[in-house]
Amino acid sequence: MEPILQVRNVEKTYDNGVKALKGVSFDVNPGEFLVVIGLSGSGKSTLLRCINHLHTPTGGEIHFKGKNITGAKGKDLKEVRKKVAMIFQHFNLVPRLSVLDNALNGALARTPTLASIFKQYSDEDREKALEYLDLVGIREKAFIRADQLSGGQQQRVAIARSLTQSPEILLADEPVASLDPATCHTVMDYLKKVNKELGITVVCNLHFLSLVRQYADRVIALKQGELVFNGSPDDITDEWFQTIYGEQAKEVHIN
Amino acid sequence: MSLLNSDASGMDSSVSQMEKKKVDIAFKSLVLDAVIFWFLALSVISMVGPETEGYIDLQYYSFLSLGLLVVGGALSYVLQAKAGIKTLGQSVFAMPQFGDEQSQTAWYLSFSNWELALAFVFALKSGIAFTDFSLIEIFDANGIEGVKRILTGILTPDFHILPRAIEAVVQTIFIAFMATVLAVPIAFVLSFLCAKNIMSGNSFTFGIYTVLRLVTNITRSIEALVWAIVFTVWVGVGPFAGMLALFLHSVASLTKNFSELAEGISDGPVEGIKSTGAGPLQVVWFAVVPQIVLPYTAFAIYRWDINVRMATIIGLVGGGGIGDLLIEAQGQLRWGEVGTLVIVIAVVVWLMDAASAYLREAIK
Repeated sequence: MEPILQVRNVEKTYDNGVKALKGVSFDVNPGEFLVVIGLSGSGKSTLLRCINHLHTPTGGEIHFKGKNITGAKGKDLKEVRKKVAMIFQHFNLVPRLSVLDNALNGALARTPTLASIFKQYSDEDREKALEYLDLVGIREKAFIRADQLSGGQQQRVAIARSLTQSPEILLADEPVASLDPATCHTVMDYLKKVNKELGITVVCNLHFLSLVRQYADRVIALKQGELVFNGSPDDITDEWFQTIYGEQAKEVHIN
Repeated sequence: MSLLNSDASGMDSSVSQMEKKKVDIAFKSLVLDAVIFWFLALSVISMVGPETEGYIDLQYYSFLSLGLLVVGGALSYVLQAKAGIKTLGQSVFAMPQFGDEQSQTAWYLSFSNWELALAFVFALKSGIAFTDFSLIEIFDANGIEGVKRILTGILTPDFHILPRAIEAVVQTIFIAFMATVLAVPIAFVLSFLCAKNIMSGNSFTFGIYTVLRLVTNITRSIEALVWAIVFTVWVGVGPFAGMLALFLHSVASLTKNFSELAEGISDGPVEGIKSTGAGPLQVVWFAVVPQIVLPYTAFAIYRWDINVRMATIIGLVGGGGIGDLLIEAQGQLRWGEVGTLVIVIAVVVWLMDAASAYLREAIK
C-alpha cells in the first residue's frame, strides 16, 4: 500500500536559530491512526505545522499522495490544506461566530472569497456542516456563539470544521492537552470515530502515554527534533519510555 | 520555542542570561544614581553660584553635567561594590533575593531612603523657584477684585448670545464628527501597516512599518492646536481648517490605538482559518476582523468625544465653532457672554462624554 504521506529528512530552523526539527523521516499509511509523542519542545507541533505548511520546512521533502508538496504556495498550498485538515490544542475557533459558522469555515477554501464574506455557502456545505456537528454530538448548539461553549465542546466544533473540509488527513496538535481527563476521552473517542468510520487518516500529537496505548495504531517519538522511535504502542517498554521522556520520567495514567 | 534546547546548551544560555541580567541591573542602577547625583549637585551649584545674567552658558553646563554624571556613577559604584551600601538605584532595579536581610535596617537609617528624600526636597525647591510660586500674588487685593468682576460676569450669564452659541456648538460637534469619520477608514488601513506582528514578516514590510510608525508618531506629537494654525494659513480661517487639523491628529492617534489592538489579536483563529486552506482575504475577514471590529468602533466613538473637546480649543486659533465665539467674547471683555458659552460647552462635553461611555459599554 502506498503511503498517503511521506516525510523525508524534514528540517526546521526558526529565524531565531532554534533547530526544531533535525531531519525527521517517516511514512503515514492511509487510514492509520498515528500518534506522535515527545516532551514539550521536542518538535511535535512544528512537525505537524510543517506538514500543512503553517510553518515552511527549511530542509527535506514532504510528499502527499505521491506528490512533492514541499514549499507549495498559492493554489497548490490551498489544495494541500483542503485535504489536510488540522485541529489545535486551543481549538482556534473564531470566538464571535456561531458554532455553525465555525463549522462552515471548513468550506472556505472551496467558496469564492466574496460569497464567503456574505456567508453565501452552498446548501450542500450547510448540510455537511450540520451533519458533522451531529456526528460530534453538538448539533443542538449550532446557533450558539462558539465562545459560549466549554473546552471539550469547542474542540468538537473544531473537529466538525475540519470534517467539513472533506479531508483525507486530519492533523491533531495536542487536541486534549487543555481539557480535563473526562472530556479528554470524549474528544479522543470522536477522533477514533472519524478515523474508523470515515476512514480519515489521523496524525495526532499526544503526551499522555496511557492515551497513546488506547488510541494509536502506530507511534513515532521525537526527542530534541529527532525521530527516536517508530513502532507499535505495545513496544514502548520502560526503557524506551525513559529514552523518550528522560531519566526522571514516570508514567502517569489518566482515567 | 525557547524550550526546544532543554539540554546542556539551554542551561548555558540561562546562566549567561542571568549574568547579562545582572550587568543590566547594575548599569541601570548606576545610571539612576548618577542622574540623582547630577541633579543634586547642579541644584547646590546654582544655589551657591553667582546669579547669571541673560542666558545660561550651555557649553559650560554640558561639560559640568557630563563630569557630574561620571562622578555620580563612580560614587554609586564605590558605595555599592566597595562599601556595600544599598543605593536608590539598586533598591529600584535589583530583584529582592530570597532570604535577603534588607528589611533589618530601620527606614530612617537606609541610605536609599535618604537619597530619595533629598532628591524630592530639592525637586520641590526647584519647582517652587521655576513656577514663581507666590502666596502674596494669590492674596493680592487687586487680583482678587479682578477675579470677582469676571466671575460675577460669568455667573450672571448673558443669554442673548444663546442662539449663536448653540449654532456654533453644533458646528463644533460636526467639525469633530467629520474629522473622526474621515480619519477612521485611513487609520483602519494604516493600523495594519503599523502593527508589528503583521509587518515583521520580511525586511520590506518592516521598513514600511518603521517609516509609517515614525511619521504617525511625529504627527501625533505635534498638538492639534499647532496643526490648526498651519491649516488656517493653508485653507483660511474657519471650521474647515479646524476640521483638517483634528482630522490629521485623529488619523495619527487612531492609527496608534488601532495598531495596538491589531498587535494584541490572538494567533489562534488566524492559524485555524489558515489551516482550512482559506485565502488571505478570507483569513483577514474571518480571523482578524471579528477580533478587532468592536474595539475599533469603541475607539472611534471615543475619538469623536475627544475631538468635540479639542474642537472647542481649536476655535481659539481660528478653527471655527464655539471656540471662535469664546475668544471673541473674551477679547471684548463680555463676561456674561463668556458665561453662557462656558455653560453650553460644559453641557455638550458632558453629554458627549456620557453618550460615548454608554455606547462603548453597550457594544462590548
